Amino acid sequence: MGNGTHQETAQVAGQKQSNWHKISWRLLKHELRRGELTIMAAAVALAVCAVLSLSVFSERLQLGLMERSAEFLAADRVLRSRGDEIPTEWLTRAQAENVASARRVTFNSMAFANGELALVDVKAVSDGYPLRGNLETAEEPFIQGEVAEGLPGPGETWVQSTLFQQLGLALGDRLEVGESEFVVTRVLSREPDAGFNVFADSPTVLIHFDELAATALIQPGSRVNYNYLFAGNPADLERFENWLLPQLDEVTQRWRNVQDGDSPLSAALERAERFMLLASLLGVVLAATAVAVAAQRYAQRNFDAVAVMKTLGGRKSQVGKIFTLHLLLLTSASIVVGLLLGIGLQASVVGWVSGALGYDLPATGSGPYLLAIATGLLCALMFSLYPLLRLLKVPPLRVLRRDLTASGLARWLHWVISGGTIFLLMVIYSGSAMLSLALFAGGLLAMLLLLAVSRLFIRASRQAGMQAGSSWRLAMAGLQRRAKENSMQMLSFSVAIMLFLLVLALRHELLEDWRGQLPADAPNYFVVNVASQQAEPMQAMFDRENLSATTLYPIVPGRLTAINGTLVRDAVSKEERDDSEYREGFGRELQLTWQADLPEENTLREGEWFAEGESGVSVESQVADRIGINIGDELTFLIGADEFTVPVSNIRNVDWNTMQPNFYMVFSPNLIENMPATYIASFHLPEERQPELYQLFRDFPQASLIDVDDILQQVRDVISHVSLAVTFVMVLVIGAGALVLVAQVQASLEEREQELVILRTLGAKSALLTRAITYEFVVLGALAGVIATIAMELSIFMLQTQVFNMDPSIHLRFWILGPLVGAGIVALLGWSVCWRLMRQQTGNLIRQLN
Amino acid sequence: MALIEASSVSRNVATTAGELQILSPLSLSIDAGEVVAIVGTSGSGKSTLLSLLAGLDLPTTGDIVIDNVKLNDLDEEQRAILRGEKIGFIFQSFLLIQSLTALENVMLPAELAGSRDAEKQARELLEKVGLGDRTTHYPNQLSGGEQQRVAIARAFIGQPQILFADEPTGNLDSATGAKVEALLFELNREYGTTLVMVTHDDELAARCDRILRLSAGKLLEPSDG
Repeated sequence: MGNGTHQETAQVAGQKQSNWHKISWRLLKHELRRGELTIMAAAVALAVCAVLSLSVFSERLQLGLMERSAEFLAADRVLRSRGDEIPTEWLTRAQAENVASARRVTFNSMAFANGELALVDVKAVSDGYPLRGNLETAEEPFIQGEVAEGLPGPGETWVQSTLFQQLGLALGDRLEVGESEFVVTRVLSREPDAGFNVFADSPTVLIHFDELAATALIQPGSRVNYNYLFAGNPADLERFENWLLPQLDEVTQRWRNVQDGDSPLSAALERAERFMLLASLLGVVLAATAVAVAAQRYAQRNFDAVAVMKTLGGRKSQVGKIFTLHLLLLTSASIVVGLLLGIGLQASVVGWVSGALGYDLPATGSGPYLLAIATGLLCALMFSLYPLLRLLKVPPLRVLRRDLTASGLARWLHWVISGGTIFLLMVIYSGSAMLSLALFAGGLLAMLLLLAVSRLFIRASRQAGMQAGSSWRLAMAGLQRRAKENSMQMLSFSVAIMLFLLVLALRHELLEDWRGQLPADAPNYFVVNVASQQAEPMQAMFDRENLSATTLYPIVPGRLTAINGTLVRDAVSKEERDDSEYREGFGRELQLTWQADLPEENTLREGEWFAEGESGVSVESQVADRIGINIGDELTFLIGADEFTVPVSNIRNVDWNTMQPNFYMVFSPNLIENMPATYIASFHLPEERQPELYQLFRDFPQASLIDVDDILQQVRDVISHVSLAVTFVMVLVIGAGALVLVAQVQASLEEREQELVILRTLGAKSALLTRAITYEFVVLGALAGVIATIAMELSIFMLQTQVFNMDPSIHLRFWILGPLVGAGIVALLGWSVCWRLMRQQTGNLIRQLN
Repeated sequence: MALIEASSVSRNVATTAGELQILSPLSLSIDAGEVVAIVGTSGSGKSTLLSLLAGLDLPTTGDIVIDNVKLNDLDEEQRAILRGEKIGFIFQSFLLIQSLTALENVMLPAELAGSRDAEKQARELLEKVGLGDRTTHYPNQLSGGEQQRVAIARAFIGQPQILFADEPTGNLDSATGAKVEALLFELNREYGTTLVMVTHDDELAARCDRILRLSAGKLLEPSDG
């Protein structure tokens, strides 16, 4: 027995290598096996898995959508130039940056064949075109084509089906364009960049760019669109873009990408992107909450272990190392599991989505993996920090004074750490401090409100419970006694249920909204160039054939020349510009129409629709905002040789995603009624009636038909795509929410374990106790459901109006679903945990409590 | 020479009604190898005295010296090291770590102290307490008596100079309690440990060399025995 002084003792202990890492490893091994860390590990793994699969999936989806959308441009970026050609240096630079380029020149001209003339859209393209998407050609007009390799050869041309109809062409015929003659070698059945401009109604004549000069069609003053197409990987493109953009002439040159908003996809895409971001954020926050609840519980369970270790000679640093290593090992293992699950999950989802879409989604970089690992580490370590600090502060005296816990650690520290971590996660995840701040502040406010409301509810429920039978009375008494703990629990129940309902409702709203835009009978054909005397017979034909068609709108081409007497910019050419004041205009000819009634699918934003006999013009809202047009402004238009001025009567919202003729300017009928006009409409022809198409339009030979089925199909593809993604996100969020519920129920049952055992020992039947607990959870769950529903309606209102630009809506069925789901799930969880407890012998239970 | 020396030791606690003295100033000394019982009714201050003597808590006034080391001069860390080196514990509620097996619970103090043959020692001790076949069981798979025997094995593993026992049979039925008691005394004799035991079991107290009787925080009999 050593009799050394304490200094010697300390030295001896210091020299010996303590085996803290073995103890740590042992604790972890056993606790994992005994399922005590399951919730904690599952929460961390879920956070990692959710972040990884969501970000990989949404990134791949994003890239996939971009690729698909790029096909609408036949490129990733398009430089559109009026007039002059661009400096050759720009193309050299593109090449140096690994950005592929191709030229596309389009203009209207007359084509001549078989003794007949037709207005055509000549399209001369250089090698490489299309940089994105494919050209499809066929051997016969109006049939499905096949992907074409290359471009028309020297002296050859590919032309659209309608021109075959108009000029009575056959393959091998000669077509005169300008001073050149081309042999028609194929039917051009699909161009990726055909676009949505239904006013570009003349059929395309595709020739090689090298043949263009020989036609001698481009003369000074010709209206020609010079387009330069660019494509490359995002990083190269961005470098090129950064170099190029400052050099562009803002008036004559325009830089376009797929997100520029004139694609009907962009709105759907943007919404989907926001939804994914939001839902993923919610998922991460939920998973983090589960980690927090589980970490708290983990620390509490280990209070005794720490007290015993300290009593038995464990130094603070040793104990600290034991539990830190324990936590690190647990976190790392959970992260690995989460990564594996995430990789598996996103691979199968991507496989499934690719299968559904019929093409592969491109791969991503390492970004999402790093993000997922960082999320797992942050979640586990930051949320465990306070419980761990508290755990390490447990005094050894607890071995004798069993009620002692850690002291001297401010509670607010916990809130600051947790809040800070959630905020940090939001910023990392969304990449936007503003969005995070808004969500965070909103969330904080909602939490405080929820807390207040849940206390109120609990107080009120006591009165109700007092009248009821014994299980109910016990349940209510329990609720009341633990009002403070319960209101915290209810808060997390409510938050979990609310987020769950929110994601469910939002998904429903988004899908409905998209479906609403593209109903099964969405118009799939436009008919243009209908002569005015044929408008009525055509309307009669639509009626007779029972085709769902839009109104036949008259079209008169014209230009906007002045606003309130100030000339608009496109009325003067670049050379003529001087310092005098000009306003921004359209830069091009407009298709003007007149209507007595507000067009379908349009809504008034400001002002009133034309009164009987009123003269005025209705302006589309985005244009009004861009150019700065207000109600009462006087707009001057030039139609043919006539110039006239009208006041703006109203501003109209137009849904550009609908497949129907849409107009920037709609006049009251009395103004341009007598101008020479052609008519346009869109209609739906069911697939099985496609063969009747010629028959139906035989009496209208001048009218041109434009098939937008391809475009529709592409939009539907994207939407089904996004719907899948949204559903996937929802499932993950629901998983995270369920985990929070399980963690919370377990934690709260542990808190009342002692009481249960005492009641049990005193002879309370297990059926009575189980019922009492179950009732308590039914009430908690139902109240949480009600609160969650209210909170969900408020949030969804904010989201719909502020984030998604949708009309707000009330979700009545959620008012039933919310409380039911809450009561059902929470009670079921409570019951199952309680049932397991009740199956054990009372003696056994008492022993466990010690 | 005294192994444990307490001089004018008192303990006050702060309550809402002001300072409350739960242990009046008392002095005592315990020699190496002595077996001492601290008895008294509930609330008499037995456990408080035990916590002070074991260095789990510090006295409000007075000094405690263990093996020539003044506890007041040590901080929490140094007291932990001292406990690890010289002191073993047995508690009424066993206080085994639930997620460690019987063997690992016994090994724990030795491992914290950095002992290399912790497992060998632990196995031997478990054999001695008759649980050689229970090494891989978790505490909740053992009966109360078995758990307390594991705790006894744990208490002896570091071959401590002093063993503090807080109501070691308080949670056990009398038959089991008697067995545990016998085991405790047997091991104590074998290792020549100084044993300080809190109990309100008079029979158990009677088996000790000396009885310290506490009542309302005061030591009733002189401590020089």
